[in-house]
Amino acid sequence: MSPGSGAGCSPIPAKAGIGLRFQHHRAVIEGKPPVGWFEVHTENYMGGGTPLGDLDAIRCDYPISLHGVGLSLGTAEGLDPAHLARIRRVADRVAPVLVSEHLSWSISGGVYLADLLALPMTEEALATVCRNVDQTQGYLRRPILVENPSSYLRFRHSTIPECEFLAAVAARTGCGILCDVNNIYVSAANHGWDAAEYLAALPASAIGEIHLSGHSVRELEGGRMLRVDDHGSRVIPEVWQLYSEALARFGPVPTLIEWDTKLPPLETLLDEAARAQALLDHERKSLGRADAA
Amino acid sequence: MSASHSAVPTLLEVQRALRRSLVEHDDGEAAGYILADGLASEGRLNVYRNTFIGALTTALRLAYPAVHRLVGPEFFEGAARIFIEKEPPRGAYLDEYGSGFPEFLAQFRQAASVAYLPDVARLEWTVSRALHAPDVEALDLSRLVAVDPADHGRIAFVPHPSVGLVQADCPADTIWRAVLAQDDAAMAAIDLGSGPVWLMVQRFATGVEVTRFSKQEWRFANRLCVDQPLQEALDDASGFNASAALAGHLAAGRFTGFRLETAP
Repeated sequence: MSPGSGAGCSPIPAKAGIGLRFQHHRAVIEGKPPVGWFEVHTENYMGGGTPLGDLDAIRCDYPISLHGVGLSLGTAEGLDPAHLARIRRVADRVAPVLVSEHLSWSISGGVYLADLLALPMTEEALATVCRNVDQTQGYLRRPILVENPSSYLRFRHSTIPECEFLAAVAARTGCGILCDVNNIYVSAANHGWDAAEYLAALPASAIGEIHLSGHSVRELEGGRMLRVDDHGSRVIPEVWQLYSEALARFGPVPTLIEWDTKLPPLETLLDEAARAQALLDHERKSLGRADAA
Repeated sequence: MSASHSAVPTLLEVQRALRRSLVEHDDGEAAGYILADGLASEGRLNVYRNTFIGALTTALRLAYPAVHRLVGPEFFEGAARIFIEKEPPRGAYLDEYGSGFPEFLAQFRQAASVAYLPDVARLEWTVSRALHAPDVEALDLSRLVAVDPADHGRIAFVPHPSVGLVQADCPADTIWRAVLAQDDAAMAAIDLGSGPVWLMVQRFATGVEVTRFSKQEWRFANRLCVDQPLQEALDDASGFNASAALAGHLAAGRFTGFRLETAP
């Protein structure tokens, strides 16, 4: 697969975007900052009132991507039809350029566990995820992107490396991949994986979006360090480096700066997005030189 | 390792075991499925449990900001953790999570000294529901004009989803406003023994408003909002101008539609 083929997979230009939270709505509506696009959490716009009204205004000026955290694509119990219906209502109203969810599960026994839990990497789980992605794409009448999560545990009976599992979901369902470079870094550090091998196992043609964010390092019992994806700080240099490697492999891909906890002023997010944009521009120039040669 | 762990568990079994670990603190089965790899399974499960409790505590704090201020963060987090484990969410739309929190607080022994807390919580839940209610157009009054006057008594209104009615034994609205405004003088002036209040909550373009009604007006509004035909609500109304009250509800956009009750 040649570098650059991934860019064609996305309906938005390969620019840097920002994860939009309520606290920044007014600043965006009034200031119209120079950023390529915004992504919002689907679950935050399932009601009416001010948030949805703000988003109506914002989407006049920017492409919007809907990023869900509650669908539980890996659940063995079948998707919650009420939640799927809510996602479709938001999508019908917002007309997003992208819709994405996670390679994880959150629901068991009808209880929502409010986190992106790790799946056992088995043929059974792969079949379950593919069935749920098929159902989602059929119901929403559009392809979705599926994101690799950060994980803090692995199961004894897993048989498939996560990167191959994700590639298989894309191959079997036709979904795209939302490659979260920070999550690859976090999981690789937590489990002793090779992040470059992970990137190499993903099909460049399926990459529709990249996520970048900060994470924290927690010291657990016995001095063991665990990296935790909390979206509460700047992207670290090692993740910027991995991002450059991802761009070299996938070509310029729309890239999102995510920040959820300890939300800083919008300017900080714009600063991070500008850094991602510079790397995207650099990659596009390199491609131009390669084409000319 | 127990015999049940020697076979490969199904996805359903793994997910049930992790739910029992996160919600019920029963790590036994889940721990057996997890690679320890330098860190005990319990420590790994704790990372997810902390997010589970933390995310839902945040959802409750956003729905109950005045309760949070009244009891303080430490007490709130402790109460929220017990509530979350007792009544975890049944869906991923968290704006709908927490309806049972006022009743939980009413039964929560450690909160018994703050007698007005459940009333304030019930008001906050109704305000939260109003904030997140779907956008629905108010009833087009020309549709009402088209109804044959002989059928007016059979009109049963559909309330706007942002409209909610709360009855409290203390001035919950005054407490709620004073707490959110951090107005100590207003707080000190509150007479907890001033008797019950009858409140209507509604979202307008400018925000959510909480309005006091008389007991009779509130009963009338409540009957209209629970799908009772207009004639039955009017028959029950006394001590106030019911047609003026109805005109007020219509003008405020408190209904989105109506149907004509068929004769019994």
